Amino acid sequence: MTMEPLNRSEFVKLIALGGAGIAVLGGPERALAALARADNDLDRAALDGDVVAAHAAAGKILAVAHGTSAGTNTKKAIAAIGGMRKFVSPGDVVVIKPNIGHPRAPKYAVTTSPSVVATLVSLARQAGAKKVIVMDNPVSSDPAHCYSASKISAAVKAAGGSMKVMGSSGYKRYAIPGHLLKTHPLYAAIVNADVLINVPIAKQHGSTGLTLAGKNMMGCTSNRQKMHTLGLSQSIAEINAKLRPELTVIDAMRILVHNGPSGGSLSDVRTKNTVIACKDWVAADTYATRLFGKKPGAVPYIKAAANMSLGTMNLSSVTIRKV
Amino acid sequence: MRDDTRVEKPPRDGGAPVARRRAAGGWKAARWVRRAVQIAVLVLFVYLLFSALQRRSAFPYADLFFRFDPLAAFSTMLAARQWLPHLALAVVTVGAALVLGRVWCGWICPLGTLLGWFRFRAARPLAPRVPPRLRGVRYVLLGVIAVMAALGSLTLLVLDPIALLTRTFTTSLIPGFDYVVGAVESAMMDWGPASGAVTWVEDHFRGTVLPVYQPHYAQGVAIFLVFLAVVLLNVFADRFWCRYLCPLGALLGLVAKVQVLRPLIGDGCNACNACMRACRVGAITAAAAGAGGSGEAAGARARVVTSECTMCLDCLVACPEREAMGFGPALRPGPWAEYDPGRRQFLAAAAIGVGAVTLLGTSVARAVKSPGLIRPPGAQDEGAFLSRCLRCSECMKVCPTSGLQPSLGQGGLEALWTPVLASRLGYCDYACTACGHVCPSGAIPKLGLGDKREQVLGVAVIDRNRCLPWASNTPCIVCQEMCPIPDKAIVLSGQHLITRPDGTQDYLARPKVVAKRCIGCGICEYKCPVEGPAAIVVLPSNPSLAVGGAPGGSSSPEG
Repeated sequence: MTMEPLNRSEFVKLIALGGAGIAVLGGPERALAALARADNDLDRAALDGDVVAAHAAAGKILAVAHGTSAGTNTKKAIAAIGGMRKFVSPGDVVVIKPNIGHPRAPKYAVTTSPSVVATLVSLARQAGAKKVIVMDNPVSSDPAHCYSASKISAAVKAAGGSMKVMGSSGYKRYAIPGHLLKTHPLYAAIVNADVLINVPIAKQHGSTGLTLAGKNMMGCTSNRQKMHTLGLSQSIAEINAKLRPELTVIDAMRILVHNGPSGGSLSDVRTKNTVIACKDWVAADTYATRLFGKKPGAVPYIKAAANMSLGTMNLSSVTIRKV
Repeated sequence: MRDDTRVEKPPRDGGAPVARRRAAGGWKAARWVRRAVQIAVLVLFVYLLFSALQRRSAFPYADLFFRFDPLAAFSTMLAARQWLPHLALAVVTVGAALVLGRVWCGWICPLGTLLGWFRFRAARPLAPRVPPRLRGVRYVLLGVIAVMAALGSLTLLVLDPIALLTRTFTTSLIPGFDYVVGAVESAMMDWGPASGAVTWVEDHFRGTVLPVYQPHYAQGVAIFLVFLAVVLLNVFADRFWCRYLCPLGALLGLVAKVQVLRPLIGDGCNACNACMRACRVGAITAAAAGAGGSGEAAGARARVVTSECTMCLDCLVACPEREAMGFGPALRPGPWAEYDPGRRQFLAAAAIGVGAVTLLGTSVARAVKSPGLIRPPGAQDEGAFLSRCLRCSECMKVCPTSGLQPSLGQGGLEALWTPVLASRLGYCDYACTACGHVCPSGAIPKLGLGDKREQVLGVAVIDRNRCLPWASNTPCIVCQEMCPIPDKAIVLSGQHLITRPDGTQDYLARPKVVAKRCIGCGICEYKCPVEGPAAIVVLPSNPSLAVGGAPGGSSSPEG
């Protein structure tokens, strides 16, 4: 019986998984540490050779930027995955979809950091975008209130973008890939945008485990109820299959670990000083689960999306760049 | 400004054409000023209505008209047994009436202005046949309002003209306006070239002229029909409401009995009765045939009844004799007409008032707290609230979720059209204090955000027979997700991963209410995805539920 010799990245992955498996017995903290170590190894392992070139070509680079400035992290992360020009062409209409679901100030880690959003607006404009429009369909309270309370409105306008209130007349019913929803109302201006950038904040959520990029796309529909009743996680995967954002940037500068997604208490907030960027939102979400000490399998919509081949949960198949 | 040059136009109201031309000029200009004032005031009124439309912070003078409304001020202070400085500007209106009579009715009142525009041909022959005694009705209404207010009830303030008009705008005209705009926009969206215009309108006017959400109000149609009836009564006489029914007009009419500066008909009167025919409110008694001239007895001339006159100046424009009419000081009270309030009207008002308060007091709403009776934040003392609330609907209009609705039966007939929170229609926003800030009478107190967040309106209760995770193992956490309380008044218990029949996975966790943390804001009831009545409802707060309180001790007995 012969065995294919492992290449380096497969070997590292094996070690990492084994290590993680053992470490789970010792508690999530250690598992997380082991995974983080594995990341570094993967990173170093992949930096040279053909793999990185192949990954860069396929957009399979996942950038993880650390630092205390949200804006700088965002710039570094976007640069590390090839720069905004890779995603935005001159004359494009760009829609940026942060999480502005609740009327909370930024410090509560309920809404996306204004500087992350504003930096993306600037970068998109520098890349030649004709228009950069920022919008969300808040779940509680009205849009104008959430836009101003989250401080996103002011930041976006200062950066030269515009905020849009998603009025009820702007939704259209679209055919949705998958077996559950079949058709679903989505906001036409988002579906028709040349480039859609998904900018969630990472936070805990009671019925999906975590609110990350996949869940954030729920702000593009006017009918959440149907998604809840039919099966939330699969529905989330399916609307993502239709929306297919070109770029995903996860704000994990501060994350909400309890009482999500609406929060409201600073004691539930943890500082992570991290911004994640990737073309593949499934990979980005998979990576982000680690910040909570969770495994990606514990967030059912990530798994449902991977099953629909919307992206990969296998982080060894992407190049992780820490910047 | 004389218009001597315009000779070609024959006068509408008879009289000698040449003489009329000479007389009318100056008063015509004054009448244009009156019309301009009326339009400006109506525009201001509508502007103020929109300045407090689905806002968290309203224009601070949104309730300006109520502050000048002596009927609201007088009866509220009487019912609340308290001096309310916020309503003290009503003194200005009363002062104006002492000098200039019902100038409020003719120049200011937005309902009066609107009613003045709805004139029907049928009213000309019909108006003289309406029995003058009917004018006494408004005094009886005023008396009943006063007696009921003295007994602590403000139920009949639903007839206050400013409240009536505001309520009509709030519950029917503004929602109808937005509905039409929405329907036109939807139709235009399907046609490419027009969709840009729709977007432009939405971007520029949504949230200011257009409400953020399409408002829906209980009884909007009924309230509109009341308004329509008031308008259609004009078929019988111009400004029928103002002549016969308006209790505020009655109050100002009583003051106008001693009006200092009065329209007077002097020696120049030629008894042509042009003034009488011109008067919209029938305030001028006819001159006897052949009267006029300096030697005639005063009683034979046409006479302006100050308690009816709205100071609109139409008669002065119509008078063909330059010297016959004008304003002059008078200190003697005007004569008492047959329809003016007397002993019988006082007795009737007292009997109706006492009887009404008695019957309303036996209402079933007094026996049990109705499940639908959730009051705005800070208005939880029902008795105190009812003796302060003007039934004006400002709070319902400003409510950013339109959750405050005019009550019909929830508080008994006594509480007709007072605000109740209907959480299935809209919730009490955690970041909002608007209702207390637009309330003219302080029935809903002005609260800071911190204080408002501690007002307990009610308590949420889960119906486990309908709640998705409890009744059908369907994952749903919408209520917990929406709960704005930082520590969460709804907690999830027993969170575990389940696999559905189709192989997909979700978390199943079951929500429970921590009653002692719940403030009854109702966002859970509003957002509950169960169709029809929500599986979580806000009921009047119940101290016995709040005792246990801990996450284990939910609002339903079994844990």
